[in-house]
Amino acid sequence: MRPVDCRACGVRVLVEKRSLPHTSVQWPTGAAAACAEFAPRVAAGRATALIPHCAALRASIEQAVRDGSLEVPADV
Amino acid sequence: MNHRVIEAAPPPERFARGWHCLGLADTYKDGKPHAVEAFGTKLVVFQGEGGGLSVLNGYCPHMGGDLTQGTVKGDAIACPFHDWRWGGDGKCAGIPYAKRVPRGARTLAWPTLERNQQLYVWNDPEGNPPPEGVTIPEIAGAGSPEWSNWTWNTMRVDGSHCREIVDNVVDMAHFFYIHYALPTYFKNVFEGHVATQYYEGVSRDDAYLGFVPGTENQKIAQRSEAAYHGPSYMIDYLWNEAEGTTVETVLINCHYPIGRNAFMLQWGVIVKKFPGMDDATADAMAAQVAEGVGLGFMQDVEIWKSKAPIDNPLLCDQDGPVYQLRRWYEQFYVDAAEVAPEMTDRFEFEIDTARAVQVWEQEVAANVEAGISYSMIPKSMRAG
Repeated sequence: MRPVDCRACGVRVLVEKRSLPHTSVQWPTGAAAACAEFAPRVAAGRATALIPHCAALRASIEQAVRDGSLEVPADV
Repeated sequence: MNHRVIEAAPPPERFARGWHCLGLADTYKDGKPHAVEAFGTKLVVFQGEGGGLSVLNGYCPHMGGDLTQGTVKGDAIACPFHDWRWGGDGKCAGIPYAKRVPRGARTLAWPTLERNQQLYVWNDPEGNPPPEGVTIPEIAGAGSPEWSNWTWNTMRVDGSHCREIVDNVVDMAHFFYIHYALPTYFKNVFEGHVATQYYEGVSRDDAYLGFVPGTENQKIAQRSEAAYHGPSYMIDYLWNEAEGTTVETVLINCHYPIGRNAFMLQWGVIVKKFPGMDDATADAMAAQVAEGVGLGFMQDVEIWKSKAPIDNPLLCDQDGPVYQLRRWYEQFYVDAAEVAPEMTDRFEFEIDTARAVQVWEQEVAANVEAGISYSMIPKSMRAG
């Protein structure tokens, strides 16, 4: 897994992409509770596991793929 | 040549910490004591005259009488052996033939929660109450006039640990091979005590699942958001769309352990009524969905009956995150102080389904060509 920083909040997550559609993301302790995108829904009582993704983080991962800092194996 | 060797530790000695559903609350509200074989023992569930449901150890601490064979007297359960009375708080509420109750006479009262028209009991091997924020969420459709009543079914599974069913949360491919579904999108998120599965799929031309009323050959688009809230209780919100009509369903898939190698599988369904739909029709629609779900579970059980427990599954890229799911699940089997951050830190995993979908579509087409058709629903029950 490779580190990727969220361009919105700076949190560093570990990401693995075995192909373009595949994504595996390991968040560090406490990061989801601090995510600004999650905050309003958490305040409304929703468990963070019921939020599929943070859009800003997703965009950051896609950017890391585009700029080559996150390598994706060629499809075989 | 090296070959893969299946490893499997014995099932855990303890039972998972967390809320466990014991079924529909009304089931227990007939003024009689009810026996529930769970957590390696027997529990007694009863409704006192105050109206609340209580869960106590099933055996009387006096001489071991079976309280489930006793009688509800006032707000207490009376033992059939010597008429000792036990209140819902676990305190001895009286011994009619004794001058006084022994000091501190108390049996184990299990914390309970009544919500969503269901009864939940809290198990903690360390004996602590549920922490703040660890609860069962409310289901808006439960008890709403816009939704059907709950169906409720149970199935006792012997010879398997309940972790087998929890594995299904990440098991995309089994939905095709066991449940005749065709997943097109599959993602998991684990965080805290919640594990979620996001699923999208389509019906198969070689299978009829019966989740939507209508003809056998209609195309159904399925979307589901299913989450375990703790070790044993899954709420699955399902949207099945066919010919412009969407059926909204809430499916409960839950269990409680009976012993180390047996569990009670339970499922319940409510469906949202279509405009103008009467109660009976809505309930019949829910029953049809529940029957389909039940047939699906029977297919799971067929596999469990003969499969080996496996701690070191050999995975391919199109498999879900089995190891990370089990790391999450482990939190319920260690002391609260031993719950490691990696068990509860947020983890996301989205599967690349392209290859699987391509192969499965070819297999379905070949089945249609060969005249093979799978059905979850008995012919007599099918709509349309």
